[in-house]
Amino acid sequence: MSFYPYTDNGGSALAIAGEDYCLLASDTRQSGEDYKIHAGYVPKAFKLTDSCVYAGVGFSADGVALVKRVRQSIEWYRHAHEKTMSTPALAQMIATVLYSKRFFPYYVGTILGGLDENGRGVVYSFDPVGSFEAELHKAVGSGAELIQPFLDNQVNLKFLPEVERTPLPLDVALQIAKDAFTSAAERDTKTGDYLEIFIIDREGVNVERFDLKRD
Amino acid sequence: MTQRLELPKGGFNFENYQRNVALEQQGLKLPTPTKTGTTVVGIIFKDGVVLGADTRSTAGSIVQDKNCDKIRYMAPNVYCCGAGTAADTQFTNSLICSQLELHRLATGRETRVCTALTLVKQMLFKYQGHVSAALILGGYDVTGPRLLAVAPHGSTDKLPYLVMGSGSYAAIAILENRWKKDLERQEAIDLVQEAIEAGIFNDLGSGSDVNITIIEKGKVDNIKGYARPNRREPKCRSYKFARGSTATLNLSAVTVTEGDAMDTS
Amino acid sequence: MFLTRSEYDRGVNTFSPEGRLFQVEYAIEAIKLGSTAVGIQTSEGVVLAVEKRVTSPLLVSSSIEKIMEIDRHLGCAMSGLTPDSRTLIDHARTQSQNHEFTYNEKIKVESVAQAVCDLALRFGEGADGEESTMSRPFGVALLIAGIDEKGPQLFHTDPSGTYVQYDAKAIGSGSEGAQTELQEEYHKSLTLQSAETLSLKVLKQVMEEKLNNTNVELAAVTPEHGFKIYSEADLQTVIERL
Repeated sequence: MSFYPYTDNGGSALAIAGEDYCLLASDTRQSGEDYKIHAGYVPKAFKLTDSCVYAGVGFSADGVALVKRVRQSIEWYRHAHEKTMSTPALAQMIATVLYSKRFFPYYVGTILGGLDENGRGVVYSFDPVGSFEAELHKAVGSGAELIQPFLDNQVNLKFLPEVERTPLPLDVALQIAKDAFTSAAERDTKTGDYLEIFIIDREGVNVERFDLKRD
Repeated sequence: MTQRLELPKGGFNFENYQRNVALEQQGLKLPTPTKTGTTVVGIIFKDGVVLGADTRSTAGSIVQDKNCDKIRYMAPNVYCCGAGTAADTQFTNSLICSQLELHRLATGRETRVCTALTLVKQMLFKYQGHVSAALILGGYDVTGPRLLAVAPHGSTDKLPYLVMGSGSYAAIAILENRWKKDLERQEAIDLVQEAIEAGIFNDLGSGSDVNITIIEKGKVDNIKGYARPNRREPKCRSYKFARGSTATLNLSAVTVTEGDAMDTS
Repeated sequence: MFLTRSEYDRGVNTFSPEGRLFQVEYAIEAIKLGSTAVGIQTSEGVVLAVEKRVTSPLLVSSSIEKIMEIDRHLGCAMSGLTPDSRTLIDHARTQSQNHEFTYNEKIKVESVAQAVCDLALRFGEGADGEESTMSRPFGVALLIAGIDEKGPQLFHTDPSGTYVQYDAKAIGSGSEGAQTELQEEYHKSLTLQSAETLSLKVLKQVMEEKLNNTNVELAAVTPEHGFKIYSEADLQTVIERL
């Protein structure tokens, strides 16, 4: 076979944007081809700034390389402009970085969760070559097909009769994120081991860790 | 002359083979059969044989069945664990199972494990590996406890401890380290449990519970869920939908009058 | 300084024993020959005004451009060797567009000043691996006006690559008198309208000709309209307020 430098390391991530918070959750399993589990704790979500967290699923090495590059860009930006890059600016910058490798892409499904300049929760999702969109909730990775419709229904109240929409409180969003992952771990073999949930609010970024099933 | 649909008398039907090859060459993606990622093990102990299996069945990376039974009956004193293409292991098993039943009726003797093995290997060899069934046969017959394995091409092994499936590397590691001759019954069960759990936790194709079957002289013990190391934790929220959650797009009523009643005459 | 003329003013990158770069200092001198330009920052926006030297009645005054747009939120007035500003403004425009392309946000005024100054010092032979664009220092000073998250701001850049922020600043031949006037008249609560009049008033005092709506150029950067050059009619209304 010809040279193919990519592997799918599996794993899932989701993000939910609230009124004044954002939540980004991902599992930590890293799997390989042919039913292999490389390791149980290889985080794929990383804090970028005090108001933004990144998660990259797909080819783990590219995810890590991308974070490294993005973090360096954030640092350069801070020196050049004497301010921390805002989440929307980060989103645009990541898109340009991804597109700069249009013909040798970073093989990652990327999501950004954070707060915008007005302190409102925002989620951005990207394809491997830089197409991106601002959203209110998004699931990516091997369990995305299982999680996304669940979020559509529980967060966006899709497929339910018209009801009054009230802002989703953080504790409910947290429960939904946890249930999404324990359920995805039941049916997706590549999602499991541990769950990391980043909560981004005005105070900064906090991480919570939970056990997932290890089978 | 009456024409009737001929049902196949046996064997495989190849009438679509050439067509499918042509379609595949034109780029059609043919459906792939379910391959079971699996951990199955068998070991011999002092008084018999212990077979063990996980209970996950997968389609790609999706879990198809969280609690399937991989230790199957072959004869009253012979059980079989299978790995490979799900359909192949199941059909091979039941095909041979039927032949063994007939053999017992014809001979009036208890089935010997090597008889089952011979039938399986002859069948698999005939199909030159196209029937991808990898089986572990365990049983207790006139010769005592027996543990045998067949690979898809028809080669066989006779060993005191055996593993099969995608989790076999994890499981064999445990057995190579801990198996010894003349284990006690409980020691053997514990060892099998540990080997299966190694597969469950280290192989993506294996998961859920540990099923165990112990075959001794004149006695078989089938224990489903001998260990359940992967209980689902309760959900944080209830997802019961309120009445009326399914939207009514349109309503139409049909009045059933007397005249429309069923004709029961 | 001309009395101590020496051989040290030949190479553009040669320090004199006193630690001076004469070519850079001469470039700064060149600005003092240029037409006067004034910038005033208020809380409502920044005003830029320049004098246009209409040297002949046959000269089409609108063809003299001394205030230019860098981006929708950034403008710039110049004095000195105005053709040199093309390179600098081109660079500023590129940096501003590049920033918006990469980050989907407006570049800061200070970052533009910094970008211009980065280029200002790239003269001479050029360091290893770095392209040199000019064989001599740029002979132009810029007043960069703009609005960002920090509000309306005014920056001054000069050929030495130095940039400084000002509340009000005058450059060019009449800068000394103009600056003194600005110092006297400027206060923090200046409105945009009074800044418009002040800028023209200051120019009027230092100009040899009589100020009219063709021999000055006026522009402003405001949160509402961004960068805007005043039309002759708009200019006339300001002149009438003088």
